[in-house]
Amino acid sequence: MSTQADLSRPAGGGHDADEEAVAIARKRASEGKKAEAKLGMMLCAPAALVMVAVMAYPIAYAFWLSLFRADLRTPDQNEFVGLSNYVTVLSSPIWWTAFGVTAFITVVSVILELVLGMLLAIVMHRTIIGRGLVRTSALVPYAIVTVVAAFSWRFAWSQDLGWLAGSSAPLTDRWSSIAIIILAEVWKTVPFMALLLMAGLALVPEDLHKAAAMDGGSAWQRFWMITVPLVMPSILVAVLFRTLDAFRVFDNIFVLTSGANETSSVSMVAYNNLIRGLNLGIGSTMSVLIFITIAIIAVVFTKLFGAAAPGSDEGGRR
Amino acid sequence: MSAYAPGTRAAQLGLKIRQKKTTRSSTLIGIGAWIVGLVFVFPVLWMVLTSFHREADAATNPPSFAAPLVLDGYRAFFDSNPWPSLLNSLTASVVSTILVILLAFPAAYALSIRPVKKWSDVLFFFLSTKFMPIVAGLLPLYLFAQKVQLLDNIWMLIAFYTTMNLPIAVWMLRSFLAEVPVEMLEAAEVDGAGLIRSLREVIAPVVMPGLAAAALICFIFSWNELLFARVLTGTVAQTAPVFLTGFVTSQGLFLAKVCAASLVVSLPVLLAGFAAQDKLVQGLSMGAVR
Repeated sequence: MSTQADLSRPAGGGHDADEEAVAIARKRASEGKKAEAKLGMMLCAPAALVMVAVMAYPIAYAFWLSLFRADLRTPDQNEFVGLSNYVTVLSSPIWWTAFGVTAFITVVSVILELVLGMLLAIVMHRTIIGRGLVRTSALVPYAIVTVVAAFSWRFAWSQDLGWLAGSSAPLTDRWSSIAIIILAEVWKTVPFMALLLMAGLALVPEDLHKAAAMDGGSAWQRFWMITVPLVMPSILVAVLFRTLDAFRVFDNIFVLTSGANETSSVSMVAYNNLIRGLNLGIGSTMSVLIFITIAIIAVVFTKLFGAAAPGSDEGGRR
Repeated sequence: MSAYAPGTRAAQLGLKIRQKKTTRSSTLIGIGAWIVGLVFVFPVLWMVLTSFHREADAATNPPSFAAPLVLDGYRAFFDSNPWPSLLNSLTASVVSTILVILLAFPAAYALSIRPVKKWSDVLFFFLSTKFMPIVAGLLPLYLFAQKVQLLDNIWMLIAFYTTMNLPIAVWMLRSFLAEVPVEMLEAAEVDGAGLIRSLREVIAPVVMPGLAAAALICFIFSWNELLFARVLTGTVAQTAPVFLTGFVTSQGLFLAKVCAASLVVSLPVLLAGFAAQDKLVQGLSMGAVR
């Protein structure tokens, strides 16, 4: 990754007489580089320190506890058990069912959110009549406090009472429950997606569209050839962060089904063990497994798409 | 156009037709926007209507449009003294959002423009707080807060929200800063602008949409966060969502009151969104560079 030397090499060169001057310039440039790199580190340090200060302890704590039998109901039987908690969790069908449900919810909702979010972003970006109102009202689902939104969805889908349910009781069946969870997630976070993408759309110069239109590019072509590549960095950030959040889905499931009919997500089962069951060892093991899973998702994601972001050539852009 | 004499008429005609087409399609988009907006906010409109009904009318399904509109729900909510919790939420959200931007902006700048060794590893590190399921942090952070006597203290929440929001702010701002032309920075440098000045006066205006979106997202997260606020705060530092869930539990069957309360608590976010939405779209397209 370190490319300082070759970056500071002057491009042209060639004249023998200038060799000495070039050497001096190179030395100066490399000193400048070092100062720059130091400045860069100093700019990153405060943010990094805050993150370490607040999050290092909880993460280390979970890793540590996952190696123990630590059940608050039987505190005198706590002991070091090595990796046996991991064996217990990884051979438990409850964990794998929750894992499957979580993966399904994550994939389906992120895809839906990306498509709908893009549409909404374009609409918000392009609309002229009552623009402020349209943009603000598109944010409404995101603005409503999550738990309230979840409660109102539960109410809407409850038998005989809700305005969506009628005489059916969709929250008592597994797949219709999952569909409602996805609906609630998507409704809530499409505005988030749209917000990120819309900010990205603002970076697309109008002239480019006009020029392409003059050259006879259709709207569809312009979308794929101009808008998408330019908005790509925003799309990547939006999809990455939504995936990380979706995999940790908790609030909506907690309120809508409490995990009934095998609709628990991995965060739900971790919560059930940690807080409800007071089984800190198993709960922490699950937390660590979620941590590892999401880290893997993030690695794969950044490795797959990282190169697509502009400015991702090695060593920054200078 | 007029420079190309032979094709001029045809070209102008083509342009006119295209412009006509553009106006028609933008009207269509406008109508589409309104329909999409309506579908999106429909459940909330239902809440608004219900919140102005008397409890007896609120319980009917479908809601009646003829029922008289009253302010009982809102009165009941404000009578239960929500002000301290609203103020707490406002403090936590505003302070943590400002902190996030102050910390994330220089870091993102370093990660996109200034060379940081192993920048992709640093960037990846800035994701790491997003890996932990939030529930897993509950217990250790509670114990920690207890030890340093920050339980029921708004600063504990501010520290937590700042940390939780840093990843997305750094990543978002970085993706925007990556679009800033290097020539612009060099021009600022040649003109003798220092680091802080060029950050504030040259770069910030260009990445305004990114800054506005990042700030809004951080504000909304902090305003709406419930789980930690519920565990880490008590009577003094209670935030609005905590107050709201308490109110909902005690008034669970009274729909009008619950709807009114939910809307009041959500209102500041909408105001923030309305304030930010203009900034969201002005960026390079405003002609800063081109």
